[in-house]
Amino acid sequence: MKFPNLRILLVDDESAIRRALRPALLELGFQVVEASRGEEAIQQLRAGNFDVILLDINMPGIGGLETLRRIRTFAPRLPILMVTVRDGEEEKVEALESGADDYVTKPFSTRELIARIRAAVRRVKAPVPVEDTPIEIGEIRLNPTRRIVTKRGQPIHLTRKEYDILHFLMMHAGRVVTYSKLLTAVWGDAFREDVEYLRTFIRQLRKKLCDDPANPTYLLTDVYVGYRFVDPQMFQESTKYESEDPEESAESLLEGLSAS
Amino acid sequence: MEVASQLSGAYIPLTSVFVARPALKSGPRVLLFLLECALGILLVIFAAAVTHWSGWLLPVSVLLYLLVVVPTALLCGFWQAVTVSLSAIVVHSYFTAHQPAINAVADPANSLTLVVFVLTALVISRLSASATEHAKEAESRGEQMHDLYEFSRRTLQMNLHMEPGPQLADLIHEIFKVESVIVFDADLHEVYQAGYPDLDARELAQTVYYFEKSDDDPVTGVGRRVLRLGSVPIGSLVVRGGVTPLTNDAIASLVALTFDRYRAFANESHMEAEHRTEQLRTAVLDSLAHAYKTPLTAIRAASTGLAEMRQLTPGQSDLISLIDEQTGLLNELTTRLLTTARLDSQEITIHATSVGVAPMIDEVLSSLKDRLANNRVLVEMERDDFVLCCDRQLMHALLTQYVDNAGKYSSYGTTITIRVIQSKSEMIFSVLSHGPVIPLADRERIFDRYYRSSNSSNRASGTGIGLSVAKRVARVHGGHVWVTSEEGEGTTFSAAIPTTLPRKGLQ
Repeated sequence: MKFPNLRILLVDDESAIRRALRPALLELGFQVVEASRGEEAIQQLRAGNFDVILLDINMPGIGGLETLRRIRTFAPRLPILMVTVRDGEEEKVEALESGADDYVTKPFSTRELIARIRAAVRRVKAPVPVEDTPIEIGEIRLNPTRRIVTKRGQPIHLTRKEYDILHFLMMHAGRVVTYSKLLTAVWGDAFREDVEYLRTFIRQLRKKLCDDPANPTYLLTDVYVGYRFVDPQMFQESTKYESEDPEESAESLLEGLSAS
Repeated sequence: MEVASQLSGAYIPLTSVFVARPALKSGPRVLLFLLECALGILLVIFAAAVTHWSGWLLPVSVLLYLLVVVPTALLCGFWQAVTVSLSAIVVHSYFTAHQPAINAVADPANSLTLVVFVLTALVISRLSASATEHAKEAESRGEQMHDLYEFSRRTLQMNLHMEPGPQLADLIHEIFKVESVIVFDADLHEVYQAGYPDLDARELAQTVYYFEKSDDDPVTGVGRRVLRLGSVPIGSLVVRGGVTPLTNDAIASLVALTFDRYRAFANESHMEAEHRTEQLRTAVLDSLAHAYKTPLTAIRAASTGLAEMRQLTPGQSDLISLIDEQTGLLNELTTRLLTTARLDSQEITIHATSVGVAPMIDEVLSSLKDRLANNRVLVEMERDDFVLCCDRQLMHALLTQYVDNAGKYSSYGTTITIRVIQSKSEMIFSVLSHGPVIPLADRERIFDRYYRSSNSSNRASGTGIGLSVAKRVARVHGGHVWVTSEEGEGTTFSAAIPTTLPRKGLQ
């Protein structure tokens, strides 16, 4: 798939990474503009129009998170992808809650990056979901006015909370919804820390949706960040090349832990 | 004055072993005694002469004698006063030998007067001497209290960066003005001395320590004390001269306390130094890891970018996927080495929460789904709603390690069974897989860091770190890990985690 005339802003203080990404993005039809600092990126954003931004979190100067916040003050709907490192779970959550659309973890593959860019751009171009419009993703259909969920036409009986969770996730389909955001939306602010509670509900929900908990296709877990409801077909494309190393991710948890 | 009162015999030494040993200084004391007596006698003679020539009556002269005897008793001591009063009788008798009116011999009334005089003199002397003694005693006690106070103050101010032994020995010698001090520090096995050197100091001090014998020897003036913390002996103290047993006890306690403070301080600074080193190490490793990430990201982005850009020949795609794969491996290695370094460098504190076991296993399996593509996975739990109080991240890491290991070493198409059993006090997680049997020799060491089974080294990728992480995780939870491996029965890695997390020992 080509991206004719999409303007992308690459923000990374490492020129090696910009150099590595540039040729492939150009080949795919992007117009690439580079910035090595957050301050510089903000200037360029004010000067011209962009369709998507790739923003590194760890940069000298004001850094990626602050840059993100400042961009959001004047460009609320511009797709922004953050580049993080493996042990940066807290950063990821913070970025998502500060308005980032998605993130990729270093070292990422170009294919994965492009898939995520495509998804982010597509989401922005799509009409804003209205509370009451029925949502259909893959085989699952959710009717908010009647609070009915069906899979392949078969009704699925959900409890109120399960329905609320599913509705919220489907409204934000394709995006990572952080634990605290989901908990706040469904249970209220007082429960934003009760992740274990949420896990039990998600497990039930997966069972009812016949989504294999060990190998889910709709309801995906972003370990230590949140959940993501995806269209299985779209998702397969984007993760084909993504070789998540589970052992590594387990150890990164330890890392995050000992670092805290 | 002090000497005289000691000689007077009425002086009760504060049971000081040293002061009661006046052997060396007796010469000058006798001289002083004689001098004081002589002075008293002279005054008495003068008084007798004045009375005689003036023709005063006996009571007047007796009063004059008393005027001499009382100050003698007050200033010099009891025996001096006795000598002076007796000499007064003799002198008086001499002067009045030819005066029948006041001659004691001639008139019984005179004799009575003189006897009353002697008795009065003796009583006054005795009283004044004992008053002086008490004053002295109190003063001496006060001095010792002051010394002790000074000693405790100085030990508190002591520089704990250095060994306390030599400083303590010097302090005792300086403040209590004793002949010699020996301090034995059993922990450092060092003997410190101050004052007059003892030849067999080490033996002396160690004997006290080993036989745990505290005593005072009044003959030699040596006080020996075992230094204790609670009931544990930690050294000994030998003091020669000038200090009461009570003071010795107090000194010994203060020395023991100082030793303890030194140890605590040393431990603390040691830990602090270690902590700082670890912080530095972690910081260095952190920046190293970030330094690695950038080139790795660039390599991966470049190689995968190449694949996106144009149709490649099969050979080219092959090479690119090789680059990609090896970059991934390098990344994994870096991350793991970093992780173990961090695990090593910091004490893991566990954040225990109630964790639903089933969702956790789901999450583990979902994160491992690519690795488990060639196997069937079966989860067996007695109950679906098991909840374990544990650190979720750590337990997740342990299970991931076990399941990943099972995936790595099991034969193609076999079933991996994850079983969770709850016993009375433990929850046992086990992962059963079917593959090559782990030799007995390897089973014992498989949880050791960097150990890789002899027949695994050339089969599957791995760093020999993961299982040591699992072991550590179980251990911080107060649990344990083990492995069984039998031909025909498969290999089972197990971890038992207490269901009641112990409050203590979570470090």
